[in-house]
Amino acid sequence: MSGAMQTIRARPAGPALRAVRDPLVAGLVVLCLVAAAALLAAPLAPYLVNALGQLAAFAILAVSLDLVWGYLGILSLGHGLFFAIGGYVCAMHLLTHGAAVTGVLPDFVQFMGWKTLPTYWAGLDLAAYAFVLALALAGLVAFVFGLASFRSRVNGVYFSIISQALVYVAMLLMYRNDTGLGGNNGMTGFPLLFGWPMGSPRVGTGLAVAALLTLAAVLAGTRLLVGGAVGRRMLACRDDEIRLRTLGYSTTRLKLGIWCLSAMIAALAGILYVPQVGIINPRVLAPDLSIEIAVWVAVGGLGRLGGAVIGAVLVNGLKFWLSAAMPEAWPFILSGLVLLVVLVLPNGLLDLAALRPRPIWLRRGR
Amino acid sequence: MADPRGRPRQAGLPPWYLAPWYPAFWYLALLCLALPAMPAFAAPLDRAILAGALCGDGAAQVGAAEGLVRAGGDLPADDLAYAGRLLGALVERRLACLPDGALLLVGQNAPEGQDAVTGARRPAAEARAPVLGLRQRAAVETARGVVALLTEGTPAARAAGLAVLERRITIVPAAVLDRARDAESDAALKGTIASLAEAAALSSPDPVRRRAAIAAVAASPSGAAAARLDALKSDPAYRADPAFRVALDAGLAQVRRAVAIGDGLAIVYNGLSFASILFMAAAGLAIIFGLMGVINLAQGEFIMLGAYTTYGVQEAFRRFVPGLLDLYLVAAIPLAFVAVALVGIGVEALVLRHLYRRPLMSLLATWAVSLFLVNLVRVTVGTQNLQFSMPAYVSGGVPVYADFVMTWNRLFAIGFAGATLILTLLILRRTPLGLDIRAVTQNRDMAACLGLPTRRIDRLAFGLGSGLAGLAGVALCPIYSVNPGMGSGFIVDSFMVVVLGGVGSLIGTLVAAVAVGGANVLIEPISGAVAAKVIVLVGIILFLQRRPEGLFAVRRRR
Repeated sequence: MSGAMQTIRARPAGPALRAVRDPLVAGLVVLCLVAAAALLAAPLAPYLVNALGQLAAFAILAVSLDLVWGYLGILSLGHGLFFAIGGYVCAMHLLTHGAAVTGVLPDFVQFMGWKTLPTYWAGLDLAAYAFVLALALAGLVAFVFGLASFRSRVNGVYFSIISQALVYVAMLLMYRNDTGLGGNNGMTGFPLLFGWPMGSPRVGTGLAVAALLTLAAVLAGTRLLVGGAVGRRMLACRDDEIRLRTLGYSTTRLKLGIWCLSAMIAALAGILYVPQVGIINPRVLAPDLSIEIAVWVAVGGLGRLGGAVIGAVLVNGLKFWLSAAMPEAWPFILSGLVLLVVLVLPNGLLDLAALRPRPIWLRRGR
Repeated sequence: MADPRGRPRQAGLPPWYLAPWYPAFWYLALLCLALPAMPAFAAPLDRAILAGALCGDGAAQVGAAEGLVRAGGDLPADDLAYAGRLLGALVERRLACLPDGALLLVGQNAPEGQDAVTGARRPAAEARAPVLGLRQRAAVETARGVVALLTEGTPAARAAGLAVLERRITIVPAAVLDRARDAESDAALKGTIASLAEAAALSSPDPVRRRAAIAAVAASPSGAAAARLDALKSDPAYRADPAFRVALDAGLAQVRRAVAIGDGLAIVYNGLSFASILFMAAAGLAIIFGLMGVINLAQGEFIMLGAYTTYGVQEAFRRFVPGLLDLYLVAAIPLAFVAVALVGIGVEALVLRHLYRRPLMSLLATWAVSLFLVNLVRVTVGTQNLQFSMPAYVSGGVPVYADFVMTWNRLFAIGFAGATLILTLLILRRTPLGLDIRAVTQNRDMAACLGLPTRRIDRLAFGLGSGLAGLAGVALCPIYSVNPGMGSGFIVDSFMVVVLGGVGSLIGTLVAAVAVGGANVLIEPISGAVAAKVIVLVGIILFLQRRPEGLFAVRRRR
């Protein structure tokens, strides 16, 4: 017991160096920064810039899920909800901003026959307010749901399916047209971003750079978090929650805090995602999409932040390519990939990197 | 027989008035025909008088036709048929008039014909065929409608007669409609006649008959009846006639109360049928979850496979034994169970077996299986809704009370779920496999120490749970549309049932299914389907605050 404590205490190096101790994360952070700089220096084709920016947003989303699943053992099948909260608030900001500048009300408001925007849209043309609101709302929803679940010790598979029900109900709610949030068509047709016209290549590059920089920051920040004392407590909680609680730690508070942080990171991804695709609708709340986030993490490697990024980029890159090239085959490939990873590579594709030259089919046991 | 409207006018007529040579004779004779209160004139039709009237001038023709309509309820059938022949001939210009009678010709301008009264053959050389004016034609068509409704042999011809009458319903006496309704053998036509008679009575000028009609409407309550009575409130009589107002208010209150009760029964019935489907979907999930701690996200797709198996059975029946097509649903029950159970055992052996120590990964794995199955069916069978032929025992329903119709397809689902519950309970409580399943559910390590092959029991239990999903698919075929994506529709609901019901308890699953199904159906009319789902989810989360293990948790050690 005291020996174990000793080894934990004995960990060397200050907080700033811990991120460097994970070469994968450090490499990815550097890669993000280099890519951002390259985008600013030499403009790429707009669709490539856009794809890069979307991949970065998805990677942030994957990191947010890996934080709770990989390090706390809480599998959320409802992370699409927080992503959507960020996306919806961002879309509301873009529409109010556009309406304030151009004076034209959004389509769905006219479609519903309203004269003005609903009252709870007030003030959203202020970007800072919208940003804070998105994060606060995601954090609040996560807090209430997490408090209810963790306090009554709902965990494991139970938690997963209840979170799935949560996102499913949210989807049904958003499909209604009378919520004032666009209904089943969602919100689209954003004219301006900070006064710049939306379609211009400059805005596209700016968004992609912002997404890449945010990804770098999120990676570095979460790595610092999981590399420190909190991270060790998270792993302890994942591996044996009862023991950690018996040792006097409040696991509920720990889980709740990380859960809310994860939700806010997911909302951040949503904020970055929506201006790049130019639309948000209730389909992002479909339970299948939330499960896909878990697939990215599982494919890349559960419990390693760099793995989540690699999984998100890989699966989404494949999806961009294959769902255009052979849309019939994509679901089969995806399900095959999931089964392969789940059965053969329990730690994701990073298992392959750790392999000795000896081929996989000759290895015995895992 | 005694018509309250019978006016004793005939009693005062002088005898000479009835002499055939008096000019007003025909008119009066028809007037007598028109008064059913006078049995002496009404019961046997004077065929000569009728033939003469139809050969008379326009007024006489109209009088004869209207008289027939009024007396139609009392005339013997052969007289009616006779009148129908005469009227038909008149319309088709095959009725030839002679000064001393009328002839029925075979065709227009035939050289000779039968005497309308005696039946003797006579030449039609100097006869004249009367032409009907517009007003006469309308009256004659109405009379023919009465005759057709009362005497025609086929329901279609009677319905055609009724359609003619519908346009002039105010002049058709109640006796005609009552007689037609009582004699009608075709159920649908009988209903039409009854509702028409009711409508005619409700708008009748006679207050007594009207009040009786209100009471009659109130005696068989429905939403339509309430609307019909409600419409009468704007009738001038409602303000003018206190007796009418009292009768209408009382009738309306009675109908509304009955409709409310009927709607309540319908809600209970729908809730029960929804709960049955939920139970069927959730029972397999609950068994698997209780035993292995695995939530099978592909359970919805197993249900879909059960429905597609049913479709395959139907197609096989259609091809090989078309005569027994109605039995395909029954035949599909064991087949769907076995087929889906085999698929489940295959999934367990290939995938889940490796994941018992990683239950969260099993969620992803079963999701991948569901994605695979949906797309496999989509590619091989297609995305369209499947067409099922509905056997008699799952189509239609029986009206029970007011607007509440007990539909057979939902009753089929309820009965099916009940049978499944009993069978599953028997398997779990009374068979060696059930004993093993319960033992492993309660304490896996101890059961293994006692020599139970826990892995094989897992596999069999997974097959049982999957087979139950296949059965749910069979029960769904008559109710829901069957397509590759059908499984995702209510899978979240059935997860909620499992969570609420508690792990490893079939009774808990049953109670939770009834609770969730009932809550959904109860809240839906008040605040919409989406709000119902939100409220149910919030309710379940709040409930888990008190009892995280669900309603009926089995004490166990894992």
